[in-house]
Amino acid sequence: MSGRRLFPTQEIGSLAKPRWLLEGLRGPALSEAARRELQEWRDRIDFVPVHDARYKKLLRGDVAEVGPRGIRDLGALFGLRFLESAGLDIVYDGEARRIEMYEFPLRQMTGFRFLGHVRSFDNRYYRKAACVEQVGLKAPYHTEEYEFVRTHARREIKVPVTGPYTLADWSYNEYYLARRPGWKGRRARREAQRDLILDLAEKALRPTLEDLVRAGAGLIQIDEPAAGTHPDEADLVVEGFNRATEGLSAKFVLHVCYSNYRSLFPAFLEMKRCQQFLWEFANRDTPEEDGYADLEIFREYDDGREVGVGVVDSHRDAIEPPELVQRRLWHAAKILGDPERVYVNPDCGLRTRSLEVAYAKLGNMVRGAQMARDRGR
Amino acid sequence: MESVALSLTGPFPRSEELVQATREWDRGLRAEPEVQALYQREARRICELESALGFGWVTGGFLSWQDLFRPFTGHVAGLRVGPLSRWFETNTFFRRPIVEGPPAGDGGALLGELPLDVLREFSKPRKVILPGPYTFSGLVDNQTDLTRWELARLWSEVLAREVETLSRHGYQFFQLQEPLLVVDPPSREEEGNLLQVYAPLARPLASAASLVWTYFGDASSLLPLLVRLPVGGVGLDLSDTDPIRLREFPSGLTLGLGCLDPRTSLPEDPLDIARLVRELSERLRPASIHLGAGAPLDLLPWEPARRKLEVLRDASRILQSTGRRAHRSSLRQAPTPQASRRSSSFHPRRRRGRPTPRRAK
Repeated sequence: MSGRRLFPTQEIGSLAKPRWLLEGLRGPALSEAARRELQEWRDRIDFVPVHDARYKKLLRGDVAEVGPRGIRDLGALFGLRFLESAGLDIVYDGEARRIEMYEFPLRQMTGFRFLGHVRSFDNRYYRKAACVEQVGLKAPYHTEEYEFVRTHARREIKVPVTGPYTLADWSYNEYYLARRPGWKGRRARREAQRDLILDLAEKALRPTLEDLVRAGAGLIQIDEPAAGTHPDEADLVVEGFNRATEGLSAKFVLHVCYSNYRSLFPAFLEMKRCQQFLWEFANRDTPEEDGYADLEIFREYDDGREVGVGVVDSHRDAIEPPELVQRRLWHAAKILGDPERVYVNPDCGLRTRSLEVAYAKLGNMVRGAQMARDRGR
Repeated sequence: MESVALSLTGPFPRSEELVQATREWDRGLRAEPEVQALYQREARRICELESALGFGWVTGGFLSWQDLFRPFTGHVAGLRVGPLSRWFETNTFFRRPIVEGPPAGDGGALLGELPLDVLREFSKPRKVILPGPYTFSGLVDNQTDLTRWELARLWSEVLAREVETLSRHGYQFFQLQEPLLVVDPPSREEEGNLLQVYAPLARPLASAASLVWTYFGDASSLLPLLVRLPVGGVGLDLSDTDPIRLREFPSGLTLGLGCLDPRTSLPEDPLDIARLVRELSERLRPASIHLGAGAPLDLLPWEPARRKLEVLRDASRILQSTGRRAHRSSLRQAPTPQASRRSSSFHPRRRRGRPTPRRAK
């Protein structure tokens, strides 16, 4: 373990996009509400100097003068300073330049066609694509974004990258399934899925990760929220991860959420290059049920890797008090048997919460981590 | 000769317009009446689609349901909305109901969750889906002292009252969604419990068409048990049930065949479906055949889902042109125990041993 302080705090990835960013990209002008939001958050987190020309133009509602690139840069700066100002130790840009974690990478690839929206839950949706040809890559897609963050960040950076298994699972697999003869039952679907995952890992993810590492990215989070979807496919998650990261020299960590984590083991023991798992727990932690019980898995399998412990719920507005965060952290540390292995994060990206709620949650998460450190002294 | 009927077997996807509206409603950018009006319009569009495709029933697509249980969690005593949980092996999630006390309903939970005004505009009978007692009791967070089977039995009583109420509102077809039956089936020792759990539904379903619809798993080995439930038939998801393993089916029941796989946008071939249906029909000789999607179509966007329904219509036409009749009226009603004994020679020993309904232990 490094000399890092106990309970380092980090984000998972996405934040809600501010109104001024969305309206700015749509053009041609910003509404009064968007301008007010821009000014309020500037004053609050100082993400851009008050005399910055782009800021002044946007504040006047002069979208065209700033242009899409300028607006995106401001959006990335906003995400970065938002997380830094909340007090996190490890940050990124809130995925400000990405449409979202699935659609953005697929649009940098060839072989996919978007079909429309499907529901994830409640009134939350994502645009779902079908793989209609063999997967290809237009160009590595995160490096420019990373370089901007690196230039401006005041804290350690972690780059979130959607993993091959999730990209495959969230897509309809037409091309690879159609190549399988006969009844498209479970076995045929699994084999076709493996073909898609490995092509995504080799032809799209790997060049993108290589480019990031070449540019200096030292900490990369592979996002596999779909990892627990099919319990009998944990080996495919591992195969995709291993194939995408093979031979690359960076610290790789893996985010999984809303899953039966037990179903991922023992397969995940073979994910040798993964040094940390970031899992959702707060959502399932209730007065009646210990949401952190699955941390026992690490003891059962004698797996000594770091764990990013979800201590605030990404899908509810209620703000967790710092005392609850502190309790959850020490509870997790006790189960794992070593507080130095515990990292602190929300359950998942906070893009489904308003900026106000996300900021309050992150602030309390940071305060709770500090209380946990103080208690450990 | 069996007849072939078609219907929606689960929620239909929301249109792109409704997606946008509900998103904006969440963000406070749309007024509720505007979104409600859109729900009605979209339900009408789905009823029109169901009618145009020759479906025997209209549903309206269950567009406002946030998940299979949510229409009940606000209305049935003893339940509240719980955390997000994955919906089987999909990238969709449901709010797991938390059971804090014995569920008790007045039969009116669904009335406000169905587009009754829209459905009345259509001359076709109405169909509704219901969360089956086995799936309900297996997926909820049961914080009571009730055993799983006691809870399931109480849930059947809640459903029975819903069926009675909806029957008075023109509903003639009740489909119990039971994915968990094939994903995590009851053990042999628990089979009696399952039959007892379903007992409260026997009487209200006796005067309606009904199916237990299984999906996300292979139903072939469970079929001998499923056909003993007091419903009019059993539905199978052919994406997960190997048709070769289907060998027997009681002659008095409807066989539901989930021929569309919403987990792939790849459209099925109507000729393949027709061939398979014909083969199963000849092999199993059910009273009638009911075609639909295996798992609910809301795993697809609107347009690919609509195209899949056209495939179903085309398959039905092929079947009709080769001797099968598509009409709804012969969908078998739930057999009473007596009727079952008369009409079926399938597992006669089990028929004789159909348990007297009593409270599950």
